[in-house]
Order: sequence, then C-alpha cells, then structure tokens
Amino acid sequence: MHRRAFVRLLAATAASVKAAGLNLAAKGRISPDGLQIRSDLPTLKIVSRYSPAAAPGMPGPFPGRVVAVKSDRCVDTTTNTANDQVVREMMAQGMRALTGATTTADAWRRFFTPADVVGIKVNCGGYPNCISAYEIVGETVRQLLALGIPVSQIYVYERYQNQMDECNYAAHVAEGVQTVAAERANRNTDNSGYDPETYLEANLFGEEDTRSNMMRLVSTRLTKIINIPNMKDHGATGATGCLKNIAYGSFSNVARTHQRGKSHTYSVVGTLAAMEPLRSRTVLQIMDGIRGVWHGGPFARTTKYLFYPKQIMFGTDPVAIDRLLLDIIDNERKAHGAISIWDRSPSSLRIDDGRARDADPNVNIIIREPGHVEYAASLGLGVYDLAKIKVQELTV
Amino acid sequence: MTAAVLALIAAAPCIYWTQGIESRPALESAGIKRLCVPPDQMEVWRKAGFTVTAVSDADLAQREALPAPGITSRAGVASPTRAPWIIASGWRFMREPAGKFGYVLAAPGKAALALAEASAYGADAVVKIDAGDVPSAGAMLAFVDSLPPLDLPPVADFGVVDDGSPIAGEAMNLLARRNLLFEVEKAVSPRFRVNVAIGTPAYPREEAADPSAFAQKIRAQLTDEQRSLRVYGSEVVIARLTSDGRRARLHLINYGGRDIEGLRVRVRGPYHGGDAYVAGTGKVALQDQVAADGAIEFSLPKISAYAVVDLR
Repeated sequence: MHRRAFVRLLAATAASVKAAGLNLAAKGRISPDGLQIRSDLPTLKIVSRYSPAAAPGMPGPFPGRVVAVKSDRCVDTTTNTANDQVVREMMAQGMRALTGATTTADAWRRFFTPADVVGIKVNCGGYPNCISAYEIVGETVRQLLALGIPVSQIYVYERYQNQMDECNYAAHVAEGVQTVAAERANRNTDNSGYDPETYLEANLFGEEDTRSNMMRLVSTRLTKIINIPNMKDHGATGATGCLKNIAYGSFSNVARTHQRGKSHTYSVVGTLAAMEPLRSRTVLQIMDGIRGVWHGGPFARTTKYLFYPKQIMFGTDPVAIDRLLLDIIDNERKAHGAISIWDRSPSSLRIDDGRARDADPNVNIIIREPGHVEYAASLGLGVYDLAKIKVQELTV
Repeated sequence: MTAAVLALIAAAPCIYWTQGIESRPALESAGIKRLCVPPDQMEVWRKAGFTVTAVSDADLAQREALPAPGITSRAGVASPTRAPWIIASGWRFMREPAGKFGYVLAAPGKAALALAEASAYGADAVVKIDAGDVPSAGAMLAFVDSLPPLDLPPVADFGVVDDGSPIAGEAMNLLARRNLLFEVEKAVSPRFRVNVAIGTPAYPREEAADPSAFAQKIRAQLTDEQRSLRVYGSEVVIARLTSDGRRARLHLINYGGRDIEGLRVRVRGPYHGGDAYVAGTGKVALQDQVAADGAIEFSLPKISAYAVVDLR
C-alpha cells in the first residue's frame, strides 16, 4: 500500500468513528436515546479503510422489529433432532412476516441479488448439542441458490477450521458451497486469514498483541452476511446471540477481552460489530432458538444445561433480538434456581474455575456483561428498549 | 586457543559434541562442519575435515548456564495476560555482551531454537545438543550462515541501569519478553527519555519485585505509539532490532514451538521495503506492506523458530 492510500485509511477511520457518533476516548456518557453508558471503559481504536453503506445492514430496514416463529414440532427433545420440514416452514413464514413479501422467494430477494457473495456466519461453539442448526443453514443455502446466487458465491464460515470440521456443514448444504474458517484452531498461530489493515486496537490487560483483526473473507470477499447464532448463555457476556456471534466470530484475538474474572466484552462486542465493513454487510439475523444453553455456554459438550426454546427469530436488528435473548436465558436460569446473568456479586465468582462453573450454575468465572447489548444500542446497532421492540409471534 | 578460533566462537554459536568420529556421517549429513569437541578428540575431528575448537566439560561448566529455550504454561504466575511464560536468554546476552554461555540441552527439540537465540544476539555460546537434534541444528546453522552479512547497532527506546542484582535481571527478562527495546547501562544516559534505575524513587525496588507490572509501567511511560517495534499476532515471539538509521535488521525468534502464519510487525523508521529470511524456507517477500507516518508495517507469510528481516 502506498502512503496516500494509507492516509486515506486513517481519514476513513476518523470518519467512521465520527459517523457512529462515538467518542471512544470518552469515559462515561449518555447516548442520544438515553442509554446510560458505563464510565470504566477501555480506550478502543478502530482502523478500517471501509466506509459505511448508505443503509448499513445493522440495524437494517427493520430496527426494533423481531419475528419469532415457534413450533412444538421443530425438535424431538428426546433425541435432540430437528424436524427439517417444520424448520423449513418456520423459515418461510418468518421471512415472509419480516419482509411483508407474499412469497418466500420475494422475501429473500429483499436482501440478496444473484451478484452477491454471501457469507453465512454459523456458530460451532456449542458442538455437539447446540450449534447453528443444519436445517436452518441448509434451508438458507437453498433459498440463496433459488435466487440465482452461484454456489461458488456462498460461504459458510466460522473462525476455527477444527470446529467447522467437527460440525461438517458441507454434508448438509449443496455441493460447492464453501465451508471455510480463518484459523486452523484456537492456537494463536495463524493470522493469515485476517485483514492486517482492518482491526480494533486496545490494550485491555497488558497484552502485547493489542489488535483484533477482521477476517479477510469478510472485508475482501463477501458482499452480504447472514448471521445464524444460537440462544446461549455465555460466561463473559451473559448471553451470546447476534452481536457476540457476528463480532467475536469475525475477528481474531478476542479471547483476550475476558480473563481473571473481568470482562471487557461490555464495550468490545458492540464496537467490533459496528466496524465497517462488517456492520454494513450483515443484512439478516436468523436466531436459532430450536435449542438453547442456559448455563456453561458458549459450550455444550453435554446436555446438562440444554433447553428447548423451540423458536427461530428473524430480523435485521441484532440488538432487538439479543435484548429478547437476555430475558430468555435469564428466565430459563431462574426456572432452574440459578443466579441471574446480571449477578455481579463477588460471592458468586470463582475466577477461572471452569469445573466449578460447569458443576454449579450459581458459579460465575467472570463477572458477566449482559450490558453489552445496551452498549451496542448506543452505537446505533439497534433498539434496546423493550417498549420499543415490536415482536410478531407466529406458530407453526 | 588461537585468536582466530576465539573469533570464530564469538561469531556464531558452537555445537558441543562428545560422540566419537563414528558419528561423522550424521553430522555431515546435517551439513555441520564446525564443532566444539573435548580436547582429546580435536585431532581426529580436524583430520576428518571439521573446524573444531577444544571445549572440555570443565570449560562448559564454567560458562554461564542457560536454560533450554521455549515456553511453559505458567500463565498467571508472572503475567496478567494469557500469554505463556517464555524461557529466553536474550536479556542475558544483552546484560553480558562479552559473556560466555553454555546450553546443555538434555532433551531433544530445543537445539535449533537455542542456536537461533544465540545467533540473533551474536552471543558466545556453546550448545550441547541431543543427538536427535543434529538435523535441525545443522539446518539452523546453515540458515544463519546463509544470511547476508549486516552488522548494525542495536536499537533501544530506553535505558536500564544494571546494578547487577537478580531483581534487575528479572526486570530485564520481562522487558525483553515484551519486546520493550532497552540498552543496558552502567549509569543513567542522557540519550534516553526513560532511564530505568531500580532502587531510585522513580523505580522503587518494591515495584520491580513484580517484574510484569514493572514492565507494564515502563511500557506506559514509553507509549505503544512511540515504541520502535511492535509485534502482532503472537505473544511468543521475541525480537531484536538493529539499525543505523537507514537500514535495519530485525531478528524474530519464535519460542512457541509452532510455525506462525501472518505475523504482523511495525518498525518505526524511514523504511519502505525489505526482504525476509525464514529458517526452513529461505528468502521471502514481505506481505501487506504499509509505509507511512514514520513507520513500516508488514506481515510474514510464515515463520518457524527464527526469521531475519532486512529493511531499507
């Protein structure tokens, strides 16, 4: 890159920060819509040469709007097997309801054209019991192909190839769909899949590697992204849904944000999700709530904390969906007598004691930050106020 | 010992070899032609065509013993981050540039890294290796020998006054590990904005007792923006930077035991390009270069245990 281009990069960075209404150096503020933002936040520096689209994908054309399609028949809870036909019908009804289209094809056409290169961001972290459902991913691919998008322009992606290999989405989608990852495994030795010029820089715990880089696939290849998270508890963020899946699933070196009992996810999750071009290109959120994890997340190596919300949510606003998710996870925890995801008491904290956390849902290993959803709202990523979120419920 | 032999030892680390001449094929197969051997074996190895230096077990024992380089999972013991603990001796070489050092590597798998570490700092080091490491050691020595000659002064962003104490040594260890480039001084130097003299009011001994926090304090004083060198994409690479202001040579030692792809480096200075030499690979082009605002950034496609980058 020549000097002139690099200067533009810096200029674009300043512009994008300004456009987002951020003063990242500020310590504490009240957002324009009255959200109270905490005062103990680290300084985050955004470097990106990408400008936002005229209408960024998040919050997209439907801010504050969520379609929740429920079905008791979508999963056999005795075998943990989803019902493909029911899921397809849930998908069709959900997409039509979200867009107001009369046909399912028209609903998908609202977001995609045959020229698009589409990435499907799945979540493999809950393998084997709670990952982005094959049935949802498969139906998504079928609809994209039906629009005329070439199979070579459809990518299913995650950060780690070993997780993708475990989940093996290739066996559940059309041949030719590319299932890819940025790194072979979570070993911090493989940076080549990340864009060295698009990153968030922050010194959070004194780490020497202070950058989290966006996946090259996202910054240089994809034109649109579909986000398919799961409804899961998360030890550092309280819950992991749309925001966490798209943010921490598209950047390197993010585990550094939460350790030794403290989590910087409160501001980092939303800041990453708001970075261009990720924000502009993520145009559709399909929250897989067929299965869920109410404790021990994001992992689900056992079925101990598995539950069945039996629903799929559709929207373009990741904040609105995640706001609903916080209550879904918290209510399930309450039903089991577990502490709230909002619990910050020192008595619940057993720092880094994963075994204790896995054994006892009243143990936190990090003080969780479910407030990351509200913080993301303050960045303009969506609507946080439950009173302003319109949920349309359908039953299949 | 002749002056020529002394110069040879000072120029490159030497493999200490106690096996008999029957082991010659393995060494020749690995391309090793230079050895340190017990005095009573000198003649036979010399006649076999090797360049040899006499080093007895007693000689080796008199040298400062160095630990086998690498990483251990001591995260949390002396670091607030998840980074593994790095066992590295670069700070020892900086502390005693004229020192004589010895590695006795009881287990295989560390010889190449030890040779890389000693080479990067130009240390006078004798390395007793496991026989299983002969191929990798030979390859590393061949790589070092293949590097274009370039002798430049080390770059430092601050000074550390060495009072010879263990606590000063441990501070230097942590500073080097974090790629905070310092020069070891006998007294405070006016050349540096930051001079670390442990035991003074600015750097109390009690603070230095927590070397990790101490290194963070100095890092904050320097500011990351003003540091001559930053390494991204790994917490297990230690660098040594030399420069004359127009050219620079950067040594990158990877202690992690696994190849690293896409390591990103930022070097302050008027550099606009360069070449990289990677052990096991050879000469490679720098990737994704950005030269602006008084610094150059680039990525390396892959580094093994050792890479050298020449910037111009």
